[in-house]
Amino acid sequence: MVDFIRLVRNENMKIYRRLRTWIMFAIMLIIPLGISLGAMALEADPDMWFFSYLEAEVVLSLITIFAVIIAADSVAGEFSTGTIKLLLIRPWSRSKILLSKYVSLLLFMLFFTVSLLLFTLLVNGVLFGSNGEYTYPNQGSRSYIVYLLSYYGLNLIQIIVTVTMAFMISTVFRSSALAIGLSIFLLLGGNMMAALLSLLDKPWVDYVLFMNYGLSTYVSGGTPIPDRPFGFSLAVLAGYYVIFIALSWYVFRRRDVAA
Amino acid sequence: MGEDLVLDLQTGGTEPVVRLLNVTKRIGNRTIIDNLTFDVPPGEVFGFLGPNGSGKTTTIRMMVGLMRMTSGEILIRGRSIRTEYEAAVRQVGAIVENPEMYKYLTGYQNLLHYARMIPGIPRKRIDEVVELVGLTARIHDKVKTYSLGMRQRLGVAQAILHRPALLILDEPTNGLDPAGIRELRDYLRHLAKHEGTTVFVSSHLLSEMELMCDRVAIIQAGKLIDVRLIHGGAENGGKAEVLFEVDRPDAAAEALGGAVLRAESGGIVVSAGREEAADINARLVAAGVRVYGIRTVTKSLEDQFLEVTGGGRIG
Repeated sequence: MVDFIRLVRNENMKIYRRLRTWIMFAIMLIIPLGISLGAMALEADPDMWFFSYLEAEVVLSLITIFAVIIAADSVAGEFSTGTIKLLLIRPWSRSKILLSKYVSLLLFMLFFTVSLLLFTLLVNGVLFGSNGEYTYPNQGSRSYIVYLLSYYGLNLIQIIVTVTMAFMISTVFRSSALAIGLSIFLLLGGNMMAALLSLLDKPWVDYVLFMNYGLSTYVSGGTPIPDRPFGFSLAVLAGYYVIFIALSWYVFRRRDVAA
Repeated sequence: MGEDLVLDLQTGGTEPVVRLLNVTKRIGNRTIIDNLTFDVPPGEVFGFLGPNGSGKTTTIRMMVGLMRMTSGEILIRGRSIRTEYEAAVRQVGAIVENPEMYKYLTGYQNLLHYARMIPGIPRKRIDEVVELVGLTARIHDKVKTYSLGMRQRLGVAQAILHRPALLILDEPTNGLDPAGIRELRDYLRHLAKHEGTTVFVSSHLLSEMELMCDRVAIIQAGKLIDVRLIHGGAENGGKAEVLFEVDRPDAAAEALGGAVLRAESGGIVVSAGREEAADINARLVAAGVRVYGIRTVTKSLEDQFLEVTGGGRIG
């Protein structure tokens, strides 16, 4: 176990010893800061909870893209630079090496989302404070922080599914460009495709991956697919997740490395 | 128990470090490696020689588990690379093709990365290895600022970090200048002689192998053509093949008895050291054979190689 943690530390080193990671981190913080400063100039009585939510809405999709980039590079990058050879010829099974990469990726997502949450609460708390009037849609008896945490949690599930898909493409096709491209297409074009597909009155439509995106609407009382329960979408995403993971491991374990 | 048994065999010192048994690799219906079988004895620098495209790198990839064999078996100190991968590869240090490292990390961070993957490598060992390959001054610089020669050194450093019993180097002299090649050669010989490391080097540079190796396996088009000793002469107390130009080869052969390797037109070839050659000369003269010339005829590896591979066509 201790030894496995050393593998994860290696993967972390490969993520955080690169300038690009910290540029991403800076961008992730500058955007909400800009929104808050703009609001301070424009709004009469801004509320910290409203802006923390708004900024999360904007920046969480950016975090998805950043995590997709890291995921796409994680395996494909080792193949394209040839470093995969020296990585694999160690007394570790390929499964564990892949797992260490996946764990470091999850840690990256967690690090970024928690940083965003804390940073937006801090900045908006200091700049605005709560005005005591604003409530979240359908907040009910839930406290602000529980509502906000639920929103983050639901988004995180969706980010993990998207990033796992990018990781799978990166592993199976060894192409980071394809992994990034497909994932972002899904992210941006998913809504449009969903709108088109929902015009089709076919039962299989509900099982398409991006039809079940938008889990976070559940926090305000909605579901991704109007006439399906929340659990349905969660189950469909879980199904895709299992397939992505299984494919990644199956291919990575068996592949001949000729890079 | 099983562990002890294997260790006993190792300390015996004669058990091969690597055994390839009927190793075959087919991709589609092309046979890349065809029924390769040979042993690498311990403590030698073992050359793996073949023209470009003959399957050297593929074989090395199978030896370190980067590629699967279609059939056959590779044992590293008795451990199967297929079924006991972790135990087998634990004893191997390798550079496969170019030493590709993480360019955005420093040399030191790269070594730390590999050191973490094997338990029991203290930081002191990293410093020691850095010193050994002569990178101390630049080890905290990013690898992207390194020259090819420095990357090669860093590659050697990561390969010997865990004191492997077997060091596999694929075309290690690629990109090195003559001084670097010489240094590497001396270093590999030192490893084999003083640390008991078995070194397996592939190359298509014949002259290089001749200087570096104790033994070479020659492959072409995925088939093993020959395994032969290089420094056989030196190991037999400085013996070499010596050609005596004589007027009557038959009479000369008769005079020397069984010592003659072969008779050629106009001369005989014997295996002899410097003093022996003088003695043989005396015996020939005493037997009434006229000796016109004496010279050593040890063929260079290049001649042997071209001879066995038929000119070294790309297989």
